[in-house]
Amino acid sequence: MNVLVVHCHPDPASFISAVRDRVLAGLERAGRVVRVTDLYAEGFDPCFDADDRRSHLEPGTAPALQRHADDLRWCDTLVLVYPTWWSGQPAMLKGWIDRVWANGVAWTLPAGSSRVRPLLFNVRRIVVVTTHGSSKLVNALQGEGGKRVVTRALRSLCSRRCRTAWVAMYGVDTSSADDRSKFLDRVERRLAKL
Amino acid sequence: MQALVVVAHPCDDSFTHAAAERAVAGLRAGGHVVEVVDLYAIGFRVAMSPEERQAYHGEMPLVDEQTREHARLVQWADCLVFVYPTWWSGLPAILKGWLERVMVPGVAFVFDERNGKVRPGLRTVRRLVGISSYGSPRWTVRLINDNGRRTISRALRMACGLRTRTKWLGLYGIDTASEPVRREFLDRVEATMGRLR
Repeated sequence: MNVLVVHCHPDPASFISAVRDRVLAGLERAGRVVRVTDLYAEGFDPCFDADDRRSHLEPGTAPALQRHADDLRWCDTLVLVYPTWWSGQPAMLKGWIDRVWANGVAWTLPAGSSRVRPLLFNVRRIVVVTTHGSSKLVNALQGEGGKRVVTRALRSLCSRRCRTAWVAMYGVDTSSADDRSKFLDRVERRLAKL
Repeated sequence: MQALVVVAHPCDDSFTHAAAERAVAGLRAGGHVVEVVDLYAIGFRVAMSPEERQAYHGEMPLVDEQTREHARLVQWADCLVFVYPTWWSGLPAILKGWLERVMVPGVAFVFDERNGKVRPGLRTVRRLVGISSYGSPRWTVRLINDNGRRTISRALRMACGLRTRTKWLGLYGIDTASEPVRREFLDRVEATMGRLR
């Protein structure tokens, strides 16, 4: 199992960084081959700019994004680790999706068609590990946009049998230290069991 | 009304910019005062920085003059209009980043540390409007849940007052839309914005 872990949080001392460490511990326990992308640490540029827009219908990404595209094609399991903000992925991670899930990498548009065809047949599993500041009820009322971006939009570009898993902690803003430590244990167990 | 129009598209000659221009023309014709923030044109930084994250729950979460200026515009406005292309069923990263960096505690909501409750901060906003183009046809957008729209019409809506109304104008299947369909949409944008009360 080749696992690509994409981590996104501006503060290396955040709870999400502790979550990432337990994700990696779980994967290591299961003996997985892991590649890690830490978007903030590497100073990823999340801005889909005019050049990206112009080359949008040409297959391939900008040379600076080649490694990201290679990682995406290499993995069979994708693990996204991020805090949910405004009911979705942080802009940094959304920018990684906008720029790396490009034509020729994640999808192709056959001539004369208006329907995008998937290319990431290698991805058979997507796991999201995230924290929500607000409660499960509030997130349900907001429509769980971040969850649907992954389970519907991104999943449709992967293997037809791609399975998704949602490992989330709700109400993290009001949680106790005990709740958080329980969640960390759950994350490690879950990732070891994949 | 006082309207703040936030535009997110990297190319000046884009359909999104055409729609934004018509929205502004409609609003002005309707007698409204309009301010425009064109995120790409001003080189708005996409991602929240570590400094901003550290300041987020502090006294002053807006760390630079640009986000402070935008926060003032948000508080001045009683109508917020977002014009953007939907990418991967969501907001372009730059617009998502604008929400994260400008709609901070003290602007969009008030976070009560004692009981963990979040209170809305945008009670003066009477109207939320989204104008978006979609590559996919309408039924696919529905199926995937139109998450960008939900971010605005639900998540951001929750930060507004009880009487805030939302309006959505979408052009679906834009990649295959003919010239008359596009023109008709732009006319509809201008007319709808002109009638907005």
